[in-house]
Amino acid sequence: MRVYLRYAIKETISNLWRNRMMTIAAVLTVAVSLSLVGAALLLKQSAAQASAQWQQGTRVTVWMEPTASKAEISTIQGQLANLPIVKSCVYYTQSQDYQEALQLLPRSESSVLSVTDVPSSFRCVPTVPQNAFVVESQFSNQPGVYSVTAPEQQIRQMNRAIRVLQIVFLALAGVLLLSATVLILNTIRMAIFSRRREVSVMKLVGATNWFIRIPYITEGFIQGLLGSVVAIIAVTALKIWYPLHNEFQLNARSLIGTSTVVLVVGVLIGSVGSAIAIRRFLDV
Amino acid sequence: MIRFEQVSKTYKNGTPALVNISLDIEKGEFVFLVGASGSGKTTFLRLLLREESPDSGRILEAGRDIGDLPKWRVPYLRRNIGCVFQDFRLLPNKTVFENVAFALEVIGRPRSTVESQVPQILELVGLTDKSSNLPGELSGGEQQRVAVARAFVNRPLILLADEPTGNLDPANSEIIMSLLERINRTGTTVVMATHDKGLVDRMRRRVVELDRGEMIRDQVRGVYGIDEPAMGH
Repeated sequence: MRVYLRYAIKETISNLWRNRMMTIAAVLTVAVSLSLVGAALLLKQSAAQASAQWQQGTRVTVWMEPTASKAEISTIQGQLANLPIVKSCVYYTQSQDYQEALQLLPRSESSVLSVTDVPSSFRCVPTVPQNAFVVESQFSNQPGVYSVTAPEQQIRQMNRAIRVLQIVFLALAGVLLLSATVLILNTIRMAIFSRRREVSVMKLVGATNWFIRIPYITEGFIQGLLGSVVAIIAVTALKIWYPLHNEFQLNARSLIGTSTVVLVVGVLIGSVGSAIAIRRFLDV
Repeated sequence: MIRFEQVSKTYKNGTPALVNISLDIEKGEFVFLVGASGSGKTTFLRLLLREESPDSGRILEAGRDIGDLPKWRVPYLRRNIGCVFQDFRLLPNKTVFENVAFALEVIGRPRSTVESQVPQILELVGLTDKSSNLPGELSGGEQQRVAVARAFVNRPLILLADEPTGNLDPANSEIIMSLLERINRTGTTVVMATHDKGLVDRMRRRVVELDRGEMIRDQVRGVYGIDEPAMGH
């Protein structure tokens, strides 16, 4: 066993080194395709998380100027109450909103806030979600209104965009993974071809099939593994420098999950590529 | 040691390679396999290695029907059979020592075995002082001696030689023959396919002659051909 282990490691390393150009090409293709897979997974997770955060939230919020007069507030309230597309509205006073802000914002930001800085708001539920935009367009320019936000609708739209992006990423990744498999297959084929004399002698003197095969399988395995390690580094970097980092709070767990998927797919690609090469070109 | 029972083999293109061959080869025998090119000598050897299987009939080696052997057992069968070829089949980028050691390493023999067996066998074939040379630096005769050493280093029960002297001059052929004889004297069964008339006539060993796949002669102390000229090539 020890003899064999030494032999297999020696053979694998020398095969990888002999075909280093092909190896690099295969590893990079695996890395790029798996980075796309990883990015798609992270996008999906962040979208899911963003939606979950807003799930119990208000569908559309009309924020009043902190300086808005009582008259302005009651005008808006009356209009909202008479609007048929709005099912219900709840008024949050400045101090209620202030309390909420204290909970949502980090201490560094909330500590500089005072009650009078915070707008009061109407939290409304439209009859159908799309009507949130109608509310937005009707009220954002009214006197005393600071802004109108429809977070759920925005998130829905963003989710749609993310879903499209995800499909594009996964489709690209699929094509690249296929080419990565073919590249690995080809590297292994070249390794087998350059060793055909050795292989024929090995068969002649009675080396077992697995003895002959394993160095080539580990070669493909290692190429897949190296590719996925590069991809994991890329995905981690993406997470760290992601521009929407603050909105998309991704925890370490989702990164570990994504890395696991990337690793498994990479190793699988490598093993499948070399398995096909061995079946087709290593006749033992 | 080797028994053919009504063995026939036809190639896909329809040419019969072996036709109804039955024969027994005892342990420790030395058998020449003679016949023109295409007479079935190589097929005979390939069947013994189970590189091919017969269409009908049985082949027994050491009492076992090798046709019953599952595919994964075939390598273990080959560990008991040494092989020498006309074209030596050495690995050009390994030294003489490494070429012989390779045969032991790839069947998982520990390093201590390699280190004790390889020098011993190189001594037997008289190449101790060339053990760190590459095959390309050796003469044809020396390369064939390395091939013989590789075939015998695992002490197989059977040694198959397919035209081992085909590429060699008479002097080197003589050296290879005396090596094969020495190996035979250790109790190893030797089957040698050859075209070399002079060699067969001098050795006076058992001769099996094939002609278009049929066994036309099996003679205990035979010569190459009785009333036909030797087939040159």
